[in-house]
Amino acid sequence: MKRSTFIALLLISFLLTGCVNVAPWERGILAKPHMALDPQPLQSGIRQHNYGSRESAASTNSAGGGGGCGCF
Amino acid sequence: MSKTLKTLTSAALLLPGLVVHTGQAADPSRANINFQYTRYQEGKRDLLGTRSDLNPIMVDTLHGTGGFLLTDRLRFSFGYTQDTWSGATPIAMTPFASTAGNKEFTRILPTGEVVSGASPYITGIEDFDHNLDPLRQDPIAGRVVDPRSVLVLSTASPETRKQGDFRMGYEWDNAVVNFGGGLSHEKDYKSSYGNINGRFDFNQKLTSLKWGGAYTTSDTSAILDHDTLSYVTPLAYNGQIDFQDRLRILRGNRQDWAANIGLTQVLGKNSLIDANIGYTHSSGFMENPYKATTVIFIDPDTISPNPADSIRGNVRAVLEQRPDYRNQLAISNRFVQHISPLDAALHLNYKFSFDDWGINAHTFESDWIQPLFEGWTLTPRIRYYSQSAADFYQPYLFSNQAFLKTITNSAGETQAITYDPRKLPQDFASDHRLASFGSLSGGISLNKRFARGFELEAGFEYYTRASAFAFGGGNSSFADFDYYVANAALKIGLETLNVNQIGRNRSASGAAHDHAAQHDHTFIPAGIMFGHTLDKAGDIMVGYRFMYARQTGDILRGSHAASDLEIVNQACGDLVLCRFAPDYMNMRMHMLDIMYAPTRWLNLMLMPQFMDMEMNLRPLEGRPSLAPGGHDHPGTPHATGGVADTIMMPLIKLLDRPNHRLHIGLGLSAPTGSVDQEVRRMAKIDGGIIHFDMQLGSGTWDFMPNLTYTGSHSQWYWGGQLYGVKRLENQNESGYRLGDLFQASTWGGYRLTNWLATSVRGVYTSRGSIQGDFNTFNARIGPMDFPHNQGGQFWDLGIGINARVPSGRLVGNHVAFEWLQPLRDDFNGYQLERQGALSATWHYSF
Repeated sequence: MKRSTFIALLLISFLLTGCVNVAPWERGILAKPHMALDPQPLQSGIRQHNYGSRESAASTNSAGGGGGCGCF
Repeated sequence: MSKTLKTLTSAALLLPGLVVHTGQAADPSRANINFQYTRYQEGKRDLLGTRSDLNPIMVDTLHGTGGFLLTDRLRFSFGYTQDTWSGATPIAMTPFASTAGNKEFTRILPTGEVVSGASPYITGIEDFDHNLDPLRQDPIAGRVVDPRSVLVLSTASPETRKQGDFRMGYEWDNAVVNFGGGLSHEKDYKSSYGNINGRFDFNQKLTSLKWGGAYTTSDTSAILDHDTLSYVTPLAYNGQIDFQDRLRILRGNRQDWAANIGLTQVLGKNSLIDANIGYTHSSGFMENPYKATTVIFIDPDTISPNPADSIRGNVRAVLEQRPDYRNQLAISNRFVQHISPLDAALHLNYKFSFDDWGINAHTFESDWIQPLFEGWTLTPRIRYYSQSAADFYQPYLFSNQAFLKTITNSAGETQAITYDPRKLPQDFASDHRLASFGSLSGGISLNKRFARGFELEAGFEYYTRASAFAFGGGNSSFADFDYYVANAALKIGLETLNVNQIGRNRSASGAAHDHAAQHDHTFIPAGIMFGHTLDKAGDIMVGYRFMYARQTGDILRGSHAASDLEIVNQACGDLVLCRFAPDYMNMRMHMLDIMYAPTRWLNLMLMPQFMDMEMNLRPLEGRPSLAPGGHDHPGTPHATGGVADTIMMPLIKLLDRPNHRLHIGLGLSAPTGSVDQEVRRMAKIDGGIIHFDMQLGSGTWDFMPNLTYTGSHSQWYWGGQLYGVKRLENQNESGYRLGDLFQASTWGGYRLTNWLATSVRGVYTSRGSIQGDFNTFNARIGPMDFPHNQGGQFWDLGIGINARVPSGRLVGNHVAFEWLQPLRDDFNGYQLERQGALSATWHYSF
């Protein structure tokens, strides 16, 4: 797939925003633990580490670092 | 709802801490401690019918994190990770028909055991037809084209990596900024990193903008494989290779700069979307120093003009060469939808990444998070990944020149001329991670949240890599493999626990009172295990114990230093002369203490352990020369690590007065630590099973009785403990049994303030020597390999400090440290002098 398609997809996702209004007392569901973006950070950390040592894709998360050589 | 009420509610919810930011984990407590254990296990690689005895890669990981608020808005968190890996890994690919590859062998060990397996050969010869298709000699059909490639597998002794990191975060009403950093350390790779990231919330927290940046610098100092050294050509790296002792060390540095920006948007009451772009710029040494590419050198002078004649290729291995720069861009999108009828959450994630190495990768992932009943949550997940190959990836390549040629120069002298590296491509690699492939994985995780703020988590994932899964198909099916990952985690929310504790105290006594005052008897030296008991039925304690012990210095016989010559002649028995002795040994133990009181008089403890050890050997002066065909280990430390034995301990209170307490423990240790850790085979010589002290457990079921008395008066406290270990089996699976142990301790301490105390402890330990012996091959090169050089009697003095948090948010936390200084060693046989041991504990009872 072409790069431009993905940039377009991303722009669409930005444009989807802006027209919603959810009042604070309507956010009970959004605040549930399983609605968090990363509900199981310990487990997802180890999974990303395994994928990272076996695959060549880049990450969109620059908060990490470390992880070692993965030279095996 | 009236308008006023709505306004008030929204105003109240907007106060910091009350509205959980959408998309951020709803942390039940703002101070927490988490422990996680993970086992990664790969399946055997397909060697096209060759039987290999090499174990596939296995990694054991221990991970701990903690975090707490320093002020209402300032949060500090930290993490520690330790992993130990071992197993067989590909070092190159080669045409299956060539004389290189994994060649089967059968041989007899010095113990008489017959072993069979496969050894890696990365050089050889191969014939090709004029289309450069490999030819194989078939017994029936004669010469046939065989286009298959195969991995060349080599194995590694266990290696341990450690990583520590921290993060400091400050939170405003509508923004967060975090900065952090860390270090990762392994024998051949050291990495340090720093990062900063943050979030701005606007549009009444319906929209969040995220940003981040990170820098990592990593140094490689790879010991070029002793086993394949003479066969791999590192010509391109001659300027980067140091000689140190007898080792060749390849050095390099790489730097990574990363930046990301993202947006989280609430789409409605039930859904949100998250989009991110990340850019990474890497430069420097990005090669894997242990991977070679097979280069088939064909001397043009030897090619026959007759197309029916085959072409002879010289199969050689050259260290891979990757570009010195890489720019990667990744775009990810996540959509989270609440499925109201089931109260489930569906997470859909798609990521695309591309780079200037030519690798395009797509990741699709879907999680279904289903809360069940009574705090249980079940999460099935599925993931698909596909990547295209790097531009410079080739399973193997051809070079139209001779690898080595002898010529006669004008003076009439013969000269050996090696190949011209400039005629090879600038970059080439055959690491299968750079090939085109796809992978499919699926897993499940199960969480149980308990009422008092702690949570257990278990997960399992199966992953299968296949060349055929790639978009458009791949051509690296020889590298297909699979793995599974199993993990278990314990998460403890400290403040949630406190709220409950205060609530329970209040209901019990009618008023909240000083929680810490109840636990005076918890001032116990850090080196004492099984010393605490819980007060009431239903109480729980969670703790973590770390121990570090070091041995170095002289080899002692009994309590006197022995000379090298004495060790050579006497320490290895009557028939064998010692050649090496331990130079130093470090042992580190991580232990989790989980304790529960089903009744007031009975406490149950579960203590899983994780260990890692390293030992370095030194050659003894006056040692005998190496037997013909023998082989020495070069001077690099040996390491082992992983899960150790698991202790299950019921403690029974015998006396429970305010100032005098006595309890007895009648526990068992289960042999969950392995006792068959091996040193890798090198230069066709088996390393055999590694030294007794480097095995991770006892290998037997052990009975661990103990009796502890504690007393206190005013600011003084004191105690004593008798502790023993009785092995319940005659031998473990490796043929031996550790000696029994008896230990007596007595201590006294003084409370300096209501939160700090110091202690002094005297310890006597007696440990028996090993019964039986290894039932399999062990190299028997030094005193540490002989059962009679084990155990002895020891006298130690312990100096300790204990601290607790007496009030406030983190009330109920205890930390303690103790240094144990050896006063006297009286070893059985010949052993390495002890230098001391450090114990550190944290525990929290509620």
